[in-house]
Amino acid sequence: MKQHLLALVAALGLAVGGVTAQAADTVKIGLMAPLTGSWASEGQGMKKIVELLAEQQNAKGGVLGKRIEVVTEDDGGDPRTASLAAQRLTTRDVVAVVGTYGSSVTEASQAIYDEVGLPQIANGSTAIRLTEKGFKHFFRTAPRDDEQGRMAARTIDKLGFKKIAILHDNTSYAKGLADEANALLKSQGAEVVFFDALTPGERDYTAILTKLKGANPDVVLFTGYYPEAGLLLRQKKDMNWKTPFLGGDATNNVDLVKIAGKEAAEGFYFLSPPQPRDLDTPDAAAFLADYQKKYNELPPSIWAMLAGDGFRVIVAGIAGAQSTDGDKIAEYLHQDLKDYPGLSGPISFDAKGDREGEVYRVYQVDAEGNFVLLKL
Amino acid sequence: MKHGKLFAVVLLAALLAAAPLFLNAYQVDVLNSIGLYGLLALGLNLILGEAGLFNMGHAAFYAVGAYTAAILNTRYQIPILWTLPLSGLTAGLFALVVARPVVHLRGDYLLIVTIGVGEIVRIALVNDIFGMTGGANGIFGISRPQLFGIVIRRPWEFFYLIWGCVALTIFLFLRLKQSRFGRALNYLREDEVAAEGSGINTAYYKLAAFGLGAAWAGMAGTLFAAKMTIISPESFNFWESVVLFMIVILGGAGNIAGVLLAAFLVIGLPELFREFASARMLVFGLVMVVMMVFRPRGLLPARGGRFSPVTLARGRG
Amino acid sequence: MEEFFQQLTNGLAVGGIYALIALGYTMVYGVLKLINFAHGDLFTYGAYLGLTLLTSLALTDRLGFALGVLVLVLMVMGLVAVLGAILERAAYRPLRESPRLSAVVSALGASIFLQNTLMLIYGARFQVYPDNILPATTLHLFGLYLPLMRVLIVLASVAMMAALYLFIQKTRIGTAIRAAAIDQGAARLMGIDVNRVILLVFLMGPALGGAAGLMVGLYYGQINFTMGWVYGMKAFTAAILGGIGNIPGAMVGGLLLGVIEALGAAYLSIAWKDAIAFLVLILILIVRPTGLLGERVADKI
Repeated sequence: MKQHLLALVAALGLAVGGVTAQAADTVKIGLMAPLTGSWASEGQGMKKIVELLAEQQNAKGGVLGKRIEVVTEDDGGDPRTASLAAQRLTTRDVVAVVGTYGSSVTEASQAIYDEVGLPQIANGSTAIRLTEKGFKHFFRTAPRDDEQGRMAARTIDKLGFKKIAILHDNTSYAKGLADEANALLKSQGAEVVFFDALTPGERDYTAILTKLKGANPDVVLFTGYYPEAGLLLRQKKDMNWKTPFLGGDATNNVDLVKIAGKEAAEGFYFLSPPQPRDLDTPDAAAFLADYQKKYNELPPSIWAMLAGDGFRVIVAGIAGAQSTDGDKIAEYLHQDLKDYPGLSGPISFDAKGDREGEVYRVYQVDAEGNFVLLKL
Repeated sequence: MKHGKLFAVVLLAALLAAAPLFLNAYQVDVLNSIGLYGLLALGLNLILGEAGLFNMGHAAFYAVGAYTAAILNTRYQIPILWTLPLSGLTAGLFALVVARPVVHLRGDYLLIVTIGVGEIVRIALVNDIFGMTGGANGIFGISRPQLFGIVIRRPWEFFYLIWGCVALTIFLFLRLKQSRFGRALNYLREDEVAAEGSGINTAYYKLAAFGLGAAWAGMAGTLFAAKMTIISPESFNFWESVVLFMIVILGGAGNIAGVLLAAFLVIGLPELFREFASARMLVFGLVMVVMMVFRPRGLLPARGGRFSPVTLARGRG
Repeated sequence: MEEFFQQLTNGLAVGGIYALIALGYTMVYGVLKLINFAHGDLFTYGAYLGLTLLTSLALTDRLGFALGVLVLVLMVMGLVAVLGAILERAAYRPLRESPRLSAVVSALGASIFLQNTLMLIYGARFQVYPDNILPATTLHLFGLYLPLMRVLIVLASVAMMAALYLFIQKTRIGTAIRAAAIDQGAARLMGIDVNRVILLVFLMGPALGGAAGLMVGLYYGQINFTMGWVYGMKAFTAAILGGIGNIPGAMVGGLLLGVIEALGAAYLSIAWKDAIAFLVLILILIVRPTGLLGERVADKI
């Protein structure tokens, strides 16, 4: 038996160390995404989008006359797995990396890419501090939490709400946004009558809703994610409670209305970067049509679309820098890429690697379950 | 120890020591992960394997150690490796305090209590207890460890740090196993009533096992904090405890070599299955069931005490 | 005061589901001393199978609401029961003579396998039950809002639990199950086919878990492949709280846990809710080391 076990260990070592074939006529772009775990739906959407974009780009001749190959690694939505995924990508000859979704997951990988000079373009990571560390190779197509916090406070003010309840879910993203909005709301004289966190992943939030209702707010700002938002709306309706809810950008997901039901979702406000179809770029419309054709569904969320933008920006960077060198691509993205026509609107990066410009909009769900852009 | 076995161990150790020479950064990092879980699992093995106490909340002690190290390092600028004994101590003491009132519970009741402790610790960290844990963001900006003037940052440098600790642990725990203490724990596991009848202070030994195992988890936590430079509560969730539990049982509770082998498999296999993309955890789950079915007592089952009179005399101390 | 009673009903509705799942844990534990960590995933299968059957067969359209749901419940219970039996055969029976914890690891492996199978079949995205099947009436009694479905869920859980209790206490097969739980060897000597008892337990427990999954799907609407992990953990806690191996204990434990959670969230802190629940559990176990209704087992000497 011992012999067998030794052989097994040896085999394991060899297989992990398996040599990957190298081909000089391809440009490899890495994608780090949560293919398994709680955020698997986002990750799988990211993969589909990036693969379709790569396919289309290759049909147009690839980049620098070479074919693009997407190398995907699963980060499992957790930091430790992400650091391994990042290490693995650095050994697979990729020239740049797209991803990933969660902020803390991205954070675990940042230093690894930066150390070897690989440009990384995160798509769903909005935590402020990611771009405050001075990494020269880090970019994101997602906006930052502080921008969204400002937008939340401004929206609440414009809609005329005075007594506000804030509910988050204790994830680093939702808590950050809740704190940001809380401080701004207090400074502009609004009254915050409730501030607490629910436990994500459960089904029954009636206990929390009962407590919220007792606080008697004008509006509830929920900064967490769409599965919980959907359930909150649905159970709120069952309680005959009419107070409007305002969600953060993580509630922007087509499944929100499905979970809540059209009737319960009607009137729900949320903040988000613009939906692709609210942009008049022909690119976005065409891409969505292609996506629908290939996968017979719509992309799960704007965050997955932003991974697509990350991919396109990298391709533009390689083409613009005329090089696959990480430093040159990063330099090009910092300095020369201005108002690149992304799927989610024009993209430029500032010196920190943050996306420039205001991207947030306010949406409301209508009676048919559509997300309608509000002009405030 | 038979010559053949000694030879195999030396060969394996030499192979491992030379691994960074022929492996790339990713592969070395996988070995680092395995080493870290090996350390944690060896600590858990004292509690679960040697003493037979069902602990499915080991991540709590791991977290206490990691957070102690991170707080001391980021707030008081204490070099991270110097915090090693202190985080071990904190985690060990924490375990003693928690285990004291519950250690007499029967197996499955202890299991849920340890799960509960793990969850309470995680929730406390998420809610920024004492205003020191940084909530869900965790603590970032932990400095790199320094050893003999060398800053440890690259995977292969961590490799020698982590596996050095593993080697030291193996040595210490093998000695412990042979000692009176180790035999008392095994007796406890096999038959608590008989052990008590022969004059073994069961509560004392159970607590000692808990404290020592937890202290090891705490020190592993320091290494983890040093390696990641950022820690957050989600790294210490229930799933981590489950993984450690699986490693110890799969390896063959109470067998050090078995536990290390299982760490290789449980941490290494999901990496190996990366080719399966979305299906990799499915394959992993299946392999776990199959391995258990074919090796019901673990990969390398612990053998009942065979002690030579010499070791017995030494252990009497 | 109104809010207190509202929270109490909230807790009971959640607790009813916990209790139904907890029964599966406790029955298996009673006979095999095995913690079936894959039980939560069988609950998830109930929710997914229910959705598939509901949408593909259009039962409620053909048979009307009441009969359609009834047929659906029976079908889901049957299918999940078969799944439970297969699980027992493949992952647990080979380990019956092994150390107890080996079977626990096998159960954990099975749980990972089952969960990821669902993800690959249905995709990782949340699945949603059609929202026009159930009557969306909300009763307004004594100042409390009681959605009709919540009331029905509590009633259905209680009915199923009562039926199970009577079955275990009053029938010959139930007596056999109890005998096997006390002493398998002696039960075998009395002519009880212990293997069949175990099979039966692995049909009944998962059937109830599957029914709970279907109810969660029907009422909450949203299901995903990881939900069994959360519910399973809560239900296991409930089973221990009541005294694992004890059937009324699982019911009491489930309802109590739901109420503790709701009241803890209402009057202490929402964010600390789960920690409060575990703390109460630990305190109860310190006072009563075998749970609320668990029997004290003398150590064999």
